[in-house]
Amino acid sequence: MRNGPGLVLAVAVKELRDGVRDRRSMVSLLVFPLVGPVLVSLMLSTVVERATADRPIRLPVVGAARAPGLVQHLEQSGITVIDGPEDPVSAVRSGNADAVVIIEDGYAEAMRQGKSPDVELVVDDAREESRPTVRRVSQALASYARTLGALRLLARGVTPDAAEGVAVHEVDLSTPESRSAVLLNFVPMFVLLAAFVGGMHLASDMTAGERERGSLEPLLLTPARRRHLVAGKWLAATVFAAFTVMMTLACTALALSRVPLHRFGMAASLAPRDLLLVLVTVLPLTPLTAALELFVASFARTVKEAQIYLSLFMFAPMLPAIYLSIEPIKPGLLLSAVPVIGHQALLSALVRGEVASPSCFLVAAVSSLALALLAVAATAALFRSERIVFGR
Amino acid sequence: MIAAAALHKRFGGVVAVDDISFEAKDGAITAVLGPNGAGKTTALRIVSGLVAPDRGSVTIDGIDPRVSPSAARQRLGILPDARGLYARLTARENVRYFGELCGMAGMALERRIAELFEMLELGVLADRPVAGFSQGERMKVAIARAVVHGPMNVVLDEPTNGLDVLSVRALRGFIRGLKERGHAVLFSSHVMHEVAALCDSIVVVAGGRVVASGTTDQLREQTAKDSLEEAFVALTATAPDVSSLEVP
Repeated sequence: MRNGPGLVLAVAVKELRDGVRDRRSMVSLLVFPLVGPVLVSLMLSTVVERATADRPIRLPVVGAARAPGLVQHLEQSGITVIDGPEDPVSAVRSGNADAVVIIEDGYAEAMRQGKSPDVELVVDDAREESRPTVRRVSQALASYARTLGALRLLARGVTPDAAEGVAVHEVDLSTPESRSAVLLNFVPMFVLLAAFVGGMHLASDMTAGERERGSLEPLLLTPARRRHLVAGKWLAATVFAAFTVMMTLACTALALSRVPLHRFGMAASLAPRDLLLVLVTVLPLTPLTAALELFVASFARTVKEAQIYLSLFMFAPMLPAIYLSIEPIKPGLLLSAVPVIGHQALLSALVRGEVASPSCFLVAAVSSLALALLAVAATAALFRSERIVFGR
Repeated sequence: MIAAAALHKRFGGVVAVDDISFEAKDGAITAVLGPNGAGKTTALRIVSGLVAPDRGSVTIDGIDPRVSPSAARQRLGILPDARGLYARLTARENVRYFGELCGMAGMALERRIAELFEMLELGVLADRPVAGFSQGERMKVAIARAVVHGPMNVVLDEPTNGLDVLSVRALRGFIRGLKERGHAVLFSSHVMHEVAALCDSIVVVAGGRVVASGTTDQLREQTAKDSLEEAFVALTATAPDVSSLEVP
């Protein structure tokens, strides 16, 4: 004879076997872990590349021969001067060049007379990706202008300091960890999302799907108690969600290890200890996501309807994630007890290189589990209602 | 034995079951006969405990399913109106799952499944996914699933619906086998000749009420018709006016 735990296990084993044989369940189980990291690493690569300061710049200059001094200064600033295009405006507009410098005909003449000749810098300020190049070119041009001005003041017997009211020096306080935090914040968001996505299809298949296919009534006619049936389904959905979380984290870690973050002055990636802490934070959330999804899907008449409810439900973790990536909150005990938001706070602190006290992790896990049990009990109660069982 | 007394159930403004009473005795086959929409399925759902009656009572071997649902269901094998199987599981896995839910395990369960599959002639299909099964084959799996725990009381809601002649004959044989082994069999139907060939007693239901009950012969006598079909038509067509025909 089987007792309560034996029944729960029998239900879970059946649902897992059924889920593994369902192509759609398996696709959502296996594809999500791959999609997240691909997006993250693509994003990181482009961001890193754009932020790189010492990348050689090739700058088209129209009329370079008229200003050998300027060209020499640009070359010294790490900018390779190449011949300018016929039509600088369309070259910039089409994106062929990030910026084009035009040296006017009268440049040499104006220089000889000690006047300030015109130099045009053609840019498209709307193009996000050309901004770093434009900034460096205009800095180089400005520093040439300052040097030239200083030399002229000296020639007239005036100290160049007179022309500079205040000398501004920028001191960058960002640490490698804090710089990479901005980028790595996306990682926990994906792992957290995995906790929501992993059991979603299975949860709707086990509730709305069971009713839609007419197997719910026979199931409820067995002597098995409602709470054992629901607990078994909950266990199966939790296994799927936990598996997706682990796969997503593994794939993301692998993808991150292939992005050369350290070369750009950022922390190499998430260390094994950090990965473990992400797992310790997110895994205890999976029983809750699974239980809530079962509860929500039980109200739907068909699998399709359940999936609409559940995809709306998925916005829940995204909103605090977006907020926290802009405005980090320090995780305390009280905040840790709030599911999802507490987990987000723990994760984003982790990414910033801070580790919250173990009690915060414990509180987060215990509160998730307690709420999960509550949701399981509520779902079991739903299946005692004629309206839910017969979908009236 | 299944006993239902003065059942009444209303859904919103619709009275589905007005006043239905019947008994299904051990070692006998009892039919609830009635046209579509007469309240048969609702009455059987009240017996199974899935639907609570507004009035009236049900006992399964003396147990009230509203008081101890698990104990009552342990003694009940039900083929409900919805007979969905798990299409991705094999016939054996489907039946084994329900056996486990009834508290069975190990060799005893495997032997029982083998026995049922032999009785229902499902042997060659046992380990194929149910997805590719015909109507008749699905019905056999659903019946094996319903009685896997060997319950003394078996309730079948329109078991012959959508089956071909061969499947109906196999099913009839199976139901007779249950009777011979002393089970109480209760089944609903709207097909007269099937009921006449099989049943020990018949409860005719129309408009949510019992309009007549008794054996085939008794019903024919009451309505003064030669065949059960004519008796059935006479009983159900004039349902509100024939309450005097009820056998006490």
